[in-house]
Amino acid sequence: MLNKQMHWKNVKLVLLREIRDQLRDRRTIFMIAVLPVFFYPLLGLALFQVTHFLQKSNSKVLIVGHQSVSGGPNLIEDGRFSSEFLSDDAKELVDLLELEFRAASHDHEAAGLPTAEEKAWQQAVASGEVQAVVYFPPDFAERMEEYRAAVKQRFERPREATDPLPELPHPLFVYDSGKEKSALAYNRVARVLSSWAHAVGRQNLRESQIPEAVASPKAYDSRDLAAESGGGDARLWAKILPFILVIWAVTGAFYPAVDLCAGEKERGTLETLLSSPAARSDIVIGKLLTVMAFSMTTAILNLVSMGFTGLLVLHQLQQMPGFNGPAGMGMPSLSAVFWLLVVLVPVSALFSAICLALAAFARSTKEGQYYLMPVILITMPLIVLPMSPAVELTLGTSLVPVTGIVLMLRGLIEGTFWQEWPLAIPVIVSTFVYCYLAVRWAVDQFNSEKVLFRAADRFSLGAWMRHLFRDRQATPSVQMAILCGTLILLLRFFMGLAMPGITGDFGFADFAKIAVISQLVVILTPALLMTVMLTRSPRKTLLLDLPHWGAVPAAILLALMAHPWVIALQQLVTTLYPMQKLEGLERMFDGAPNIWWILLVIAVLPALCEEIAFRGFILSGLRHLGHRWRAITISALFFGVSHGILQQSIIATFVGCLIGYLAVQTGSVWTGVAYHMVHNSLAVLASKLKEPESWPQWLRDRIDGEQLLEILVWQIGPDTEIYSPWIMLPTALVGAGLLFYFHQLPHYKSDEEALQESIDAESGKVLVS
Amino acid sequence: MIHVRDLQKYYDDLSRGRQVALSGISFDAHEGEIFGLLGPNGAGKTTALRILATLLRPTGGTATINGYDVVKHPAQVRHEIGFVSAGTAVYDRMTAWEMVAYFGGLYGLADDVLAERMEGIFSRLQMNEFRDVLGGKMSTGMKQKVSIARAIVHDPPVIILDEATSGLDVLVARALLQTVMQLRDQGKCIVYSTHIMREVEKLCDRVAIVHKGEILASGTLEEVRQRHGEQDLEELFFQLILGNEQGGLRRTDQRPEADEQETERAGA
Repeated sequence: MLNKQMHWKNVKLVLLREIRDQLRDRRTIFMIAVLPVFFYPLLGLALFQVTHFLQKSNSKVLIVGHQSVSGGPNLIEDGRFSSEFLSDDAKELVDLLELEFRAASHDHEAAGLPTAEEKAWQQAVASGEVQAVVYFPPDFAERMEEYRAAVKQRFERPREATDPLPELPHPLFVYDSGKEKSALAYNRVARVLSSWAHAVGRQNLRESQIPEAVASPKAYDSRDLAAESGGGDARLWAKILPFILVIWAVTGAFYPAVDLCAGEKERGTLETLLSSPAARSDIVIGKLLTVMAFSMTTAILNLVSMGFTGLLVLHQLQQMPGFNGPAGMGMPSLSAVFWLLVVLVPVSALFSAICLALAAFARSTKEGQYYLMPVILITMPLIVLPMSPAVELTLGTSLVPVTGIVLMLRGLIEGTFWQEWPLAIPVIVSTFVYCYLAVRWAVDQFNSEKVLFRAADRFSLGAWMRHLFRDRQATPSVQMAILCGTLILLLRFFMGLAMPGITGDFGFADFAKIAVISQLVVILTPALLMTVMLTRSPRKTLLLDLPHWGAVPAAILLALMAHPWVIALQQLVTTLYPMQKLEGLERMFDGAPNIWWILLVIAVLPALCEEIAFRGFILSGLRHLGHRWRAITISALFFGVSHGILQQSIIATFVGCLIGYLAVQTGSVWTGVAYHMVHNSLAVLASKLKEPESWPQWLRDRIDGEQLLEILVWQIGPDTEIYSPWIMLPTALVGAGLLFYFHQLPHYKSDEEALQESIDAESGKVLVS
Repeated sequence: MIHVRDLQKYYDDLSRGRQVALSGISFDAHEGEIFGLLGPNGAGKTTALRILATLLRPTGGTATINGYDVVKHPAQVRHEIGFVSAGTAVYDRMTAWEMVAYFGGLYGLADDVLAERMEGIFSRLQMNEFRDVLGGKMSTGMKQKVSIARAIVHDPPVIILDEATSGLDVLVARALLQTVMQLRDQGKCIVYSTHIMREVEKLCDRVAIVHKGEILASGTLEEVRQRHGEQDLEELFFQLILGNEQGGLRRTDQRPEADEQETERAGA
């Protein structure tokens, strides 16, 4: 009890000190508070100025040959564009367009442009003398008349009109889109001209006595529900807010984290702190809470500052004439803000822990700052992904770090979350797990003397390779085990790319080829090569010793007993993550010569190769972690992921844990091989069992298949079948008994595990005394 | 107080392979005594003291402080010691008073006890004139005083000082040595590492001469002098180190210490 209080007291001491320390640091204050408070208003001001300029500055436009424009609505009136045909919101444009007139020279060729004149215009635009030139050809009015007459005639005597309509005359528009002002002039004049062209069209219709609506029928009436409930804003906010939140939570966590860890290391105060009796975990938690506080403060300040600036600027913009931006964008709803704050806590906890661990790893603040970019780069897709409308909150996405929580936040803001609330459980649980792992990682960094007293080793690949070989131990190190696992996964990925997909005529021979290659090349070879090159004792590394005499039969029996439960798990997994049916897969085994070949490829080969790699090399290396179950779980995760298909991976991870336990308890790979072989064989045999017609004759003669199936199988859903309770319960009991047998076997402990155990035992004693 | 038996520490170095920082050193230090570790730079003194301060884990051997094993009870060991080394700086953005109070808090001292003890320490070490100066603004001497104050605020029975006078001017160094002697007189067990002979001669009750991770000679200064027939400590030091480098001179104290170790084990 006393110990617990001590803990929190120390955490509080560290937290208060760190916060005070950061607050005394001008750089932090600048990054955390000053920057967001001033950055957005400045940005808003600049944006406002730009828009203001765009709205208010006049454009000079040279109109050439406007005399030829006649008939139809007036384009020009009193030296300006006429506003009579313009819609209300465009009427202000007229005041912003300064017109200059010039008569067109008449000595041009009929079809082409007067080139000398065109050059002069180009120059006028290029020099900025005017921003745009509109040229009306001299025959503009005549051609317009022709066109009208043709339209009229066609309407009055439709049967006689066979000639195509003459081309509607149009002015030429010269501008330079590379110039801001010229592009602006273009936009303005284009609006005027197209309104005018519409007016001309309407007039033509009128004169032909056709109702205007014929040319532009109304397609639909619309009523936007979001306009009433504010949901339109929600959609936008749901995308913007999580993005800003996460980015600033990362940035706000990063700089204090670097200062708190790498900075302390650099200034030499970390050693002082670590020689105090505060436990490493107290120190890490204290620092973590500090980093979190800054991360959250930065995120909130940024959101608030940005929100206010945005609203002010929008408000100003909306006052302006001719503004056509996102109209009527309001504040996010109160509930959105509330959920944002709730979600901010786990998000900043996660990133704070990650940043803290990275910063603890860094030797100096400079090195620490190098790590910001990779963190952002990895985080980015995790935030951008949930912005896509195609990505929805499912069990799969809910487990992805950051993505799950951002999707949940999106649902909360959009208001669609309550339809999928059960998914909040995996989101929250997985977020907790990720936070825990990140914190654990940070604590490990603080416990690692290699990290804390890391000297600047001059790294060279050659020296490192020599070091690996020269200083190799009996069994591989943790890093080597992780490297081997990663290598296997990478090879598997590339083999997946290189191999042909399953097609209609995918037969047993193809399957066998792929299976053999992937087992031998992808899984066995890396493990064996690494064993030979990086360890002194292949026998110890790959656990080649024979186990206790009872272990192999017990493992075989355990695999049999576990089978109904594995099937049940399989059914559960496929219900949660429905599996695509692969057509080719059904007939895959048909081409096999006999069942023994199938068992060889599916059961014997993987049992040998995978056990040697995952329970041999990888698990042996991971046992240097000092925690048996952590080693078993990580090796099982590698084993699971190497299966490639999500549904298989989940089951393989569970089975991998069980086999890993057997390997640890018996100190032998052969127990696992036996279990694995039986496990895989049963998967094949069970599918055969369900089809009595495929049984061999002698079996069919003795047993009535249908009747047997009725006893064995329990149909609990349309596609869901598990073994009947009469099988499940006894197997569970026998299985538990077998696990107890394995539990009581005397087993080998790695040095690290033995040390950890004695530390745990001793600290237990101290606590008691 | 301190029992160190066959303490070993190896590092894996990329280019040079396995490096021996300590190849099995053994020594004892008792209360009311200053035990000196004398050796050139890189001898392994800092590694040994960091192991005692639980900052490093030994590769082999054992070390206990006041009965607590440094590997198995690191937290208890840290309660028993005050550790000052070249690597234990003071915080730049904390005042002297805040710094000492912070560590007092981490050592679990109650506020009233802490305040009282700090007043005592600050006046004894003459730190009152800079109690509100930030670490970043302090002189090296002030910083060293803060470090000492920080290390003794919880009144630990064992104080470990690693090259404590490095970078100090003569006056401050002298004041520090006096403080150390006062602490010894209060009954503390002090382990003091240095490469300066004069400090050893002045300060240490017993000494171990360390070179390349080995103890070449140990005992009271008189014992060491007599055993090697050399009155001048500096000469003695050079002879030992030169001998060790040439491999000619064998460690003379190997047998007695091993015997002592065995008898202690038998006794236990």
